Amino acid sequence: MRSFIYRSGFALIVLVALFVRVVQLDQRVLHNDEANQIVRAGRLLEGDSYRYDPEEHHGPTLYYLALPLAWLTAGREFAATSEWTYRLLPALCGVGVLLLLLLLWDGIGRGAVLAAAALMAASPAMVYYSRFFIQETLLLLFTVGAITCGWHYCSRRTAPRAIATGVFLGLMHATKETCIIAYACMGAALLIVVAFKVKSGLTLDLKLTCRHALYMALAALGVASILFSSFGVNPAGIWHSFATYLGYVHKGLGENSDHVHPFTFYLRMLIGQRSGGLFWSEWVIMLPGAIGMLLVATSSRLIKQVDRGLGRFLVFYTLLMTLAYSLIPYKTPWCMLSFLHGWIILAGIGITGLFNVSRHPLARIIVLVLLAGGMGFLARQVQRTSFRYGADARNPYAYSHTVSDHLNLVQRINDVTALQAAGRQTPIAVVTNPEDAWPLPWYLRAYPNTGYWNDVASLPAPFAPALIVASLDREAEVATLTGERYISEYWGLRNEVLLALYIRRDLWDRFMESRQP
Amino acid sequence: MKTITSVAVVLLLAAATNLVAQGMLPLKLELPKPMFVGTPKTIKSANLEPARKGKPRPPVMVPKGVENVAEDMEITSSDSYPIIGDLELVTDGDKEGADGSYVELGPGKQYVQIDLEETRQIYAIVIWHFHSQARVYKDVVVQLADDEDFITNVRTVFNNDHDNSAGFGIGKDKEYIETFAGRPLAVKGLKAQYVRLYSNGSTSSEMNHYVEVEVYGK
Repeated sequence: MRSFIYRSGFALIVLVALFVRVVQLDQRVLHNDEANQIVRAGRLLEGDSYRYDPEEHHGPTLYYLALPLAWLTAGREFAATSEWTYRLLPALCGVGVLLLLLLLWDGIGRGAVLAAAALMAASPAMVYYSRFFIQETLLLLFTVGAITCGWHYCSRRTAPRAIATGVFLGLMHATKETCIIAYACMGAALLIVVAFKVKSGLTLDLKLTCRHALYMALAALGVASILFSSFGVNPAGIWHSFATYLGYVHKGLGENSDHVHPFTFYLRMLIGQRSGGLFWSEWVIMLPGAIGMLLVATSSRLIKQVDRGLGRFLVFYTLLMTLAYSLIPYKTPWCMLSFLHGWIILAGIGITGLFNVSRHPLARIIVLVLLAGGMGFLARQVQRTSFRYGADARNPYAYSHTVSDHLNLVQRINDVTALQAAGRQTPIAVVTNPEDAWPLPWYLRAYPNTGYWNDVASLPAPFAPALIVASLDREAEVATLTGERYISEYWGLRNEVLLALYIRRDLWDRFMESRQP
Repeated sequence: MKTITSVAVVLLLAAATNLVAQGMLPLKLELPKPMFVGTPKTIKSANLEPARKGKPRPPVMVPKGVENVAEDMEITSSDSYPIIGDLELVTDGDKEGADGSYVELGPGKQYVQIDLEETRQIYAIVIWHFHSQARVYKDVVVQLADDEDFITNVRTVFNNDHDNSAGFGIGKDKEYIETFAGRPLAVKGLKAQYVRLYSNGSTSSEMNHYVEVEVYGK
């Protein structure tokens, strides 16, 4: 009966997690980075071959895994795809992380797994970035996969388990360069745990361990090589996947970067901060996470179902990851998923401990009510971060996000061109600095006659496109070009960054005529 | 061109002197502390007021003895349950740009309405939507009326909805960038008991905000 309740509870949590990750998936305007990644995936969808770029854009798993979902939901034409097509992948990966927690059932106990799954399902950061087409949720899935398979390998050393761990480690490498931080923290935490175990009499079969380590490494390298070489088409991609770290060292140190933030950047976001009259926090995870750490550190009897070695590994791994990401000057909020999952699993352990300390039924009811209150708080945070304020600058997760007004610019272009005989063939010029062009290439994907220039001097002459979109640093040049022949409007791009839309006067007059009652 | 400008300045000065002679004085406002000064980038547009680059706007002329008749008056809104702040913040006298000083109304076209409790002769309205960041509010329309349902004697005193998306007709006024100085509107002594202010999101978000609205009249 108890088992049935646990299974039903877990199934319910998975369903809720799936729901909050896929509902209104196309409502939030695309972030610059999402659009970049989508357009790259779109090129692959339309038959271009993929080549790993060691300078930018991270590994290939995101693009390759997006393909089957795109084929299933939209076919092979990029213009026929929608935000839903692409964001479905991170959403499913976000749910996959919950399912992988099941593999820790015999390592931390089913109560802790259930609590961790509930927190994972309702964590505002987890939900937000599971609805965001970037590499982070994939990296999270593969990291949790490596930890869970690694745990199973440690509990019974077999070649298939070593290979499974290796596959996940390889997928991490093929997803994002920051996997190297997780490798280092996993290795260090493992060494500490082994040191504890050797002290208490652990003996290792070195020959077997070395053989399995070789299997693991070969599996990791094999998977990563297949993907980085674009399935053998670009063997240089394999070398580039290692050479890239030279560039990423400079990036991590924050050289020439707008993304340098203080040590407390992530912790403030998770513990709590006020912004725009609202309180944003994941303290409901961090507090029981800290309790879970204490219980593991003190080998408390309250968590006797938690394997001591796994518990210690999780504590050291989570602390090292949190410290490493906080020390690196280059910070973007989505990177915190890489250590938040550790806090969530430890929070599951902490909640089990709290539940076990309350033997009296009344005390257990009080703990349950507190937990329900905490989940309610997280649900409200999710509603704010992922829905109502999904693209709002006050939302700490909406980092340098496109503002929703950008959709009004796109709507204006759609409305004006719909009145033209040329329709979607209407010529459009986008004259912006490189940063401000995005995410327009996604939104104008159905307009084949759209050109992107970095300055007016590069425009072909004579040229009088129906519409010109200009960033404000190019606006003076564009205004000189257009004179009185165009009317101009302002639309938001990012917070405090505007784009000017120039509409040729004949089109504007026709548009306004269409609006007469 | 210089001659035309000089003539225009002289005429404006003459008009201002004439107004002062008639008992009209420049409206003096108590301004909040600046949180965003000027515009971050040069902005010029057919539908946007030229950047002021930190210079104050020309004063709105009002007769002697006018006062803010909106302070602490009852506010109603198309969004009766704002997520952030209360409707009372619109006329509470606090014009600071900090958190806690503004009310946030829901997405899309929304309005706030001020009941002046009796018919007043109105000379100026000053609006502060949100001035801690540079942004432009869309479809700003300000109307006066004799009844709370805006059926009788409705007059539009400001409309910068250049594409008629709000449905009140094409506005001839320009959009403007929010600053701590607010946006004063001259109202020419029209009589009304109710003032309604519309907006339709901003260049930053689809939400609508009000830090303060002042109505100067007798």
